[in-house]
Amino acid sequence: MSLTRPPLRQSTDTPQSAGRRSRTIRTTLLAYGFMLPFLALLMLYHTWPVIFGTYLAFTKYNIISPPEFVGLDNFRELIKDQQFWSGVVNSLKYLLVVPFIQLLSIGVAMLVNRPLKGISFFRTAYYVPVVTSFAVVGLIWTWMYQQSGPVNFVLMHLGLMQRDSSLLNNPGSALYAVMFVTLWKGIGYYMVLYLAGLQSIGRELEEAAVIDGATRWQVFVNITLPGLRPTILVCSLMSTISAVKVFEEIFVMTQGGPVGSTYTALFFNYAKAFQDFRYGYAAAAGIVVAVISLVFGLINFKMTRGGRVDG
Amino acid sequence: MTTSPKTDPTTSPQAAQLRAQRRRRTRLHNFAAYTVLTVIALVMLYPFYWTLITSLEPTGNIYEAKLLPSGVSLKNYAAVLSGTTVPFLRMVLNSVVICTVGVIASVTFAALAAYPLAKMRFPGRDLIFYAILALVVLPNEAGLIVNYITTIKLGLLEQRGPVWDTITQYAAIVLPSVASIIGLFLIRQAYMGVPIELIEAARIDGAKELTIWRRIMLPLSMPTIAAFAILEFVALWNSFLWARILPLDPQMLPLSAGLLELSGTFATNSRATMAGAVLVIIPILIVFASLQRYFMKGIEGAVKG
Repeated sequence: MSLTRPPLRQSTDTPQSAGRRSRTIRTTLLAYGFMLPFLALLMLYHTWPVIFGTYLAFTKYNIISPPEFVGLDNFRELIKDQQFWSGVVNSLKYLLVVPFIQLLSIGVAMLVNRPLKGISFFRTAYYVPVVTSFAVVGLIWTWMYQQSGPVNFVLMHLGLMQRDSSLLNNPGSALYAVMFVTLWKGIGYYMVLYLAGLQSIGRELEEAAVIDGATRWQVFVNITLPGLRPTILVCSLMSTISAVKVFEEIFVMTQGGPVGSTYTALFFNYAKAFQDFRYGYAAAAGIVVAVISLVFGLINFKMTRGGRVDG
Repeated sequence: MTTSPKTDPTTSPQAAQLRAQRRRRTRLHNFAAYTVLTVIALVMLYPFYWTLITSLEPTGNIYEAKLLPSGVSLKNYAAVLSGTTVPFLRMVLNSVVICTVGVIASVTFAALAAYPLAKMRFPGRDLIFYAILALVVLPNEAGLIVNYITTIKLGLLEQRGPVWDTITQYAAIVLPSVASIIGLFLIRQAYMGVPIELIEAARIDGAKELTIWRRIMLPLSMPTIAAFAILEFVALWNSFLWARILPLDPQMLPLSAGLLELSGTFATNSRATMAGAVLVIIPILIVFASLQRYFMKGIEGAVKG
């Protein structure tokens, strides 16, 4: 958010007529009146969850009886909870998506940045998976991954697969199969952002470099990439955080299976709350996930900035 | 890629040769680019196409890779639409109601709240602004859990009578997504661009703030408001998790959530679910294709901000 503010007029006047003061009061009331419906809903559904969720993490709660304060018990139990940690490990494995999705999106953005005929058709086509619900996309890929389905057909014909068995039913490959769907759905989204980044660089620099005899590769490394730096920073941060918090695709495609191989940290959080009705324990898991995603977000931030103070 | 051989460009025959060479190279480049673009487009679109043609087949080997359907019939569509277990047409209505009410409410509330934040001076303005900003950054992992508890405690899912229940269940689904922080920031940004002189002049003429908002702010920020409305519509149409978690009457489910219900009911007949999936995608594709420019503008604005 650019934080430009309307200039605050310095009040140099002495406490003047009551008229001015009553006008200020009226303006204030009006202003809050304008904001009231929005703020009321914001408090109820955004602020309150942060406060109450934090409190719940230190309680035992099943909705029926009132929350019972248990101190750090939930966190002690979490540390020993095998299922939770395997979920965290899977969420961290999911970070594998980040570099692939960024590199592919940059590549695709550069491709669709050319002034070719019909290029807007391709841009639109790549964006179709983005605007489709994970409910639909998850189902479509679940079918695509079925035994003797299209995915296996392609893999067998390329000689990448010997035995015709569904990738989603195999504990060794299920998580990666879901990752591919995340990648497939996300490319168009980041493509649009990188396209905006590319168009803000401008062609003059690149053209000047080409005239000076720079190769395409030199132009890419020395002009395009530095110009994209701020975009790369934002995009990889977003995809890192959403990788650690992966949930919807798991919910639709595997429900954590087969044999718990696609259990992720947030799926654990969901299952504890809505399958076992342990709301306090789930809230504690949520806090740990939030901290983990924050840490990885910071690591990512440091890495993409490369210690530089721009972007 | 090698650069063209060093020649003296003042001599014309060589220059012509060079030009021809460059034309050839451009053509080759374009051909390569189109090939890659087409391959990616196939990867992106084939799953949708495959689902469409499979949903049109009456029988046969359901999951196999294919380029054309083995037969065409609307049998599966009939199965979905006349489904008694999951009332598909009712879910279409639910989605339409939820999206319409949700979009109107979130646009109105954000557009109202953004006005004082952009164009009024009052104590606490900056505090409120930064508090809202902080909410974006604060982790909200327990959001689903607490909102679920809130919804139960508010009694939105209690049974009191058919009409009342319908309204409260719609409210339960829509309310958590109405206050959109992104919407507030987008619209506030647009308001910032409205010249203050216009507003001051209207105030001197004795116009009420609500009139100024309706007659000046809204019309001048229409492109942004439209972009946000489209984003919000797509988000609402696609959201399914919240509605799946709430213990709703199956009659009340919106489409995206209902589709998952459908895949459970038609576990043995995926073709019917595929037909359902096609029906869920079509409206979004129409909205997206016809309003694409606004949509992209909204996305870029939301991230850039």
